[in-house]
Amino acid sequence: MKKILIALVVLAAVGAGVGYYLWNKPALDLTNAKSDIVVDATALFNEYKTDEAQANSKYFEKVIGVSGKVQEVLNDEGTVKVSLETGDPNGFVVRCELSKTSAHARTEFPVGETVAFKGTCSGFNLDVVLNNCVEAKK
Amino acid sequence: MKKLMLVLFASVTMAANLSAQNFFTRDGKIKFDATAANSPEKIEALSKTATCVLKTTDGAMQWAVLFKSFTFEKTLMGEHFNENYVESSKYPKATFTGKITNLQEVNLTKDGTYNAVVTGKMSVHGVTKDVTTNGAITVGGGMIKINAGFTLNLADYNIDIPSLVSDKVAHDVKILIDAPLKPMN
Repeated sequence: MKKILIALVVLAAVGAGVGYYLWNKPALDLTNAKSDIVVDATALFNEYKTDEAQANSKYFEKVIGVSGKVQEVLNDEGTVKVSLETGDPNGFVVRCELSKTSAHARTEFPVGETVAFKGTCSGFNLDVVLNNCVEAKK
Repeated sequence: MKKLMLVLFASVTMAANLSAQNFFTRDGKIKFDATAANSPEKIEALSKTATCVLKTTDGAMQWAVLFKSFTFEKTLMGEHFNENYVESSKYPKATFTGKITNLQEVNLTKDGTYNAVVTGKMSVHGVTKDVTTNGAITVGGGMIKINAGFTLNLADYNIDIPSLVSDKVAHDVKILIDAPLKPMN
């Protein structure tokens, strides 16, 4: 009887521990992650523009290493968003939203500089959007 | 003659600048609150990368927001939202295509704040529905700002709430929209 009780208490404690961990699961940090695919901003954008479903099957939710020329940087109430040039005639871009929880060596990027980010691909809404981004080390 | 040509040229280019036909943002904020009345924790999320294109000539607009771009306070909530509710790997985005139906009361080329009625088709989770909602449109400083709030019924879009969390997740989700549009080149 006592053994069963102890076993139950242990089980409950483990369950609570797992639950607590899951509930407080840390945000995704790509600082040390390896990119699933490395691609330049123009090629990534053009693949989405040509065939969104096809591009999603290749890139969606994957960790993408993307590089391109900075077109615009916006600090939007604490969220840094970097637009990378794609050569699109309408001015659509690859949008990299920097992670709010990862550590960043810098959050300002000069327009025209070629930079590389790692981020998870969220899909296409005229721009290609990457979230959880960190600058890729050179 | 030359002067006249110059004046003509100048007035034509000025007119072109004033009447940019398309306004655009890639920084639209869409916030949703799906907290049920008695839920102990808040279930809300925010995307800051919604896109919107607005044609000033006829008030046509097109919106798109990616589900994966929503950030939640709890990572686990975001995972459940994407995997179990909106199934973002199958349906990565929500879109709305519609137009301002009371354009006679909304002057998109004159500074001011207008009450706009917008009607169109909303697509979420593979389901497309006709919707009509009101919003405030503020024209000023060369920009057009759109603010709107409405509710979205999850069952309308075939999004099931598991009974285990039915006391936490609201059946009608409150949506708030805040979009600053600039002239598009």
